[in-house]
Amino acid sequence: MSSDARQITINPTREDYRIAWLTALAITIHIVESALPSPVPGIKPGLANVITIVVLLMYGWPTAAWVAMLRVVVGSLVIGTFLTPTFVLSFSGAVASITVLGIGSLLPGKGLGPIGYSLLAAMAHMATQFTVAYLLFIPHPGLFKLLPVLMTASVVFGIVSGLVVSAIMNRIR
Amino acid sequence: MTRADFLVAMLALGMLPLLYNRYWEEPVEGEDAEIMAGDDKKLKVSLNTNRRLNIEGPLGTSVLEVQDSRIRFVSSPCRGKQCIHSGWLQNTGDFAACLPNHISVTVRGNNRHYDAINF
Repeated sequence: MSSDARQITINPTREDYRIAWLTALAITIHIVESALPSPVPGIKPGLANVITIVVLLMYGWPTAAWVAMLRVVVGSLVIGTFLTPTFVLSFSGAVASITVLGIGSLLPGKGLGPIGYSLLAAMAHMATQFTVAYLLFIPHPGLFKLLPVLMTASVVFGIVSGLVVSAIMNRIR
Repeated sequence: MTRADFLVAMLALGMLPLLYNRYWEEPVEGEDAEIMAGDDKKLKVSLNTNRRLNIEGPLGTSVLEVQDSRIRFVSSPCRGKQCIHSGWLQNTGDFAACLPNHISVTVRGNNRHYDAINF
């Protein structure tokens, strides 16, 4: 028997299944949300990040990072924005928020709860997207007039999704 | 809500007024004015020298005045006098026009600003 016919078996762990299921959930929300109209460009609730925070609180940072990054990549493939400017913004935002969440989860003591995490993630997401948009796509000083409005939106939506996260955590605990 | 949550929320809310303060700052004073008369006549006037300008339009002569880095319509042979009521123009992007006499003034600065950004 030739070695070409060798069969490769992948044995997914429980952790792999968990990541896959949670990512599927996050992607679903991501897609539904991309269909929602937005009054101002650059502002959307970011409900998919609710899943990231819930995962972070339940299974820890590595799982949350997987879910967040897979969500952005697979979500963009499904919507058809992979490697477009939208994807670049989305990806950089996700990297920033997962980084900030990682740093936040190192806090000693009781640490951060749902609201703190999602506020930090939302603000890091927005600030990074803004920087990337400014550096790569619209390098015009007029863009900074939008910054206060965008950051206000991120704070509001950060608190809102924080409340959603704590509601979810209360249900599933 | 943990204590760290509260701290993050306070910092976030405290940052917002600073952002508005920083980026919605006072408008920039203009360097010069661009006067358009008719469809093709374009005139660039520095706001540093005080002077009066007589601009000819289809209705007659409109008088513009430059003083202390500002510019305004002093008189115009139109009916509504909207241009005169616009008053002094000083900051980058300020604009006044006498449509009946086909004359408009825009204040420009060193870095050109856009009217609007669409994306």
